[in-house]
Amino acid sequence: MGFSFELMVFGSTIAALITMAFLLYYFTADYKRNLLGESASSLTKEQSNLLLTKMRREISFSAFFMDDSKSIGVRYLITSIVLFFIGGLAGIGMRISLWFPNPSFLTPIQYNILLTAHGNIMLYGFAIGMILAFGYYLLPSANKIEKDTLGVVKSIMFWLFLIGSLFIIFSKSTATWYFYYPLVDQLTEAGGGTYSFATLIGVTLILLAVTVSSVIFLKMVFLDRSKSIPLSKISMFSWSIVSTAVLVLTSAPVSMIANGYLIYDLINPIFFQAANGQVLGYAIMFWFWGHPLVYIAILPAFGLIYEMLPKYAGVPIYSYRAGVFSLLLLMIFSAVVWGHHLFNSGLGTIWDLLFSTTSFLVVIPSAMSVFNWIATLWSAKSIKLTVPMLFVLNGIVDFVIGGILGVYLADVGLNAFIHGTYAVTSHFHWIFIGLTAGIGFGAIYILFPTLTGGRTYNVPMAKVHFYLNSVGTIMMSGFWLVGGFAGMPRRVAGYFGIFQTYQDAAAVGGVILGIGFLIFLINFAYSAYLPAKVDVRNPIEDEVQVT
Amino acid sequence: MLLKNKLLVEVIWIVAVLAILTWAAVSNASYVTNNQNSIANPANGDPVGTVINVTGYQWAWAFQYPNGTISTDKLVLEVNQTYTLVITSKDVIHDLYIPQFGVQSYAVPGHPNQVTIEPKKTGTFIFECVEYCGEYHYEMRGTVVVT
Repeated sequence: MGFSFELMVFGSTIAALITMAFLLYYFTADYKRNLLGESASSLTKEQSNLLLTKMRREISFSAFFMDDSKSIGVRYLITSIVLFFIGGLAGIGMRISLWFPNPSFLTPIQYNILLTAHGNIMLYGFAIGMILAFGYYLLPSANKIEKDTLGVVKSIMFWLFLIGSLFIIFSKSTATWYFYYPLVDQLTEAGGGTYSFATLIGVTLILLAVTVSSVIFLKMVFLDRSKSIPLSKISMFSWSIVSTAVLVLTSAPVSMIANGYLIYDLINPIFFQAANGQVLGYAIMFWFWGHPLVYIAILPAFGLIYEMLPKYAGVPIYSYRAGVFSLLLLMIFSAVVWGHHLFNSGLGTIWDLLFSTTSFLVVIPSAMSVFNWIATLWSAKSIKLTVPMLFVLNGIVDFVIGGILGVYLADVGLNAFIHGTYAVTSHFHWIFIGLTAGIGFGAIYILFPTLTGGRTYNVPMAKVHFYLNSVGTIMMSGFWLVGGFAGMPRRVAGYFGIFQTYQDAAAVGGVILGIGFLIFLINFAYSAYLPAKVDVRNPIEDEVQVT
Repeated sequence: MLLKNKLLVEVIWIVAVLAILTWAAVSNASYVTNNQNSIANPANGDPVGTVINVTGYQWAWAFQYPNGTISTDKLVLEVNQTYTLVITSKDVIHDLYIPQFGVQSYAVPGHPNQVTIEPKKTGTFIFECVEYCGEYHYEMRGTVVVT
């Protein structure tokens, strides 16, 4: 333990390099004009409107040098897909290593590095990156915004996000994404990882990026929205981003402060000391952000389902009012349930009861959304089972399964039985693969012509991707669930031999998921090279369906 | 058709979910208040039955029985006896979990917790650490022998 001079030199060098790289990019790039904002407020209104009508950015690397909202969205989209690939590789590495009860393919330290990388990359890199991508890509046209300002700020926040992701990937931390206090400050390979503080810095940079972006999202929806759209008619996706942004603004700063305390404790341990009985203090501050984070990861997917479902069901969403109500209630309730991650830590019976009850409450808005989707499907005359629609339906089913498991976990008595087992891993992989990733894939497929300038994806390959994704989730999360109820602990590099069946089946499921994602990448690359054949009309954006 | 009356449908689905969850919340609350000893609570100095002091450290569990003997990674209990485990940690946060008994409790440095168990069957069971604690986290496991 301890914070050496070398580490401070290392940190300062990295900071100086980053500053220099950014200045180089800012002053020398040929695209300086774009960086300064061709879409900035200095443009006249006609120019600005023209820009917005033409503003259908394709996926291309020139987006990294332009700073209108759509280009920023494309940047986040590319980054989050790459990060999903890296995080997925880490996941598959862990699955293969767990084929045998004793560590085989990976040593425990390597396993723990992959474990930490998988969690951090998927949550901070992929889930948050995907939200920012769709937020920046869809909000301007969904709200027909009148001017697209703050380009430089958005651009800087993207670079901070990218640097944060690189820190997470290269720090080789083994503290998992919880960073519980005494472990994260053990700067050894066997403890939290020699450079685990670099991950803390990376996470804090990403939190900064997502916090500032949330302010920009709120500004886009409430200040820049076209006067032709009254507040009672804004799209469900905008509402979902609004609730996400408010959640980020209320909880992310707490995590940034906690990370700051942790880094300070490396130099001068005062905040979370065992002698003061304060070790759980970090866990509490962490979960104050950590639980809203999982809602932050799924709320935009809710919004996308609300937009995509009516397109293929052929009817407007059953109840716009109940949908908005549910999203806003989710925003409020999900901020007060974080204690259910710490039921067995000795918070005391009263706190356990409080958080257990609020966790039951948060099911109500989730169920309202699910019933809303079911009612929409029920009132539909004919449902078109296109690839995005398949992802949406699969996402709803996976969310129901994962959500019901969440109710089980909210029960204090049952929680003592399944907390810390693979049942928990199963619970959130149902939701994250089905909803966050699945709806993300669905939205990419529905936006494919827009994103690639008029190309269409290969439908049979996309269907194969869908079926592999769906079957892989069912196998992996399903067997984890059964194993979890038998007492199989999570986050282990090895396990009791009695659990081998569940682990092996889950490994097969994980590999199936990986193959599915590879097929998606191949399909994307292959289809984007074919000549354009359709209009770039963007099905999500063109008409916002409200009742 | 029922689906035409949107307000009614919305009220029905809210009330139905609310009813189920109220039942769940009430049964949970009654379980918690009646079985306070079987969930992890801060050690209160007034334990029930035989006290076993459990210390987690990187990477093993030490069980200290009332007669002073210490066993590592093996817990020996007698059937139909009441035991209170007072659990703490020497270094980082651990979590003692005995799946077949349905109990678990964090081992937090500087914050001892207690949980009461009463084995009803003889046999050999497993226990595990389920809070990630470093390199050999997965080896913090062992057996509970009930005689």
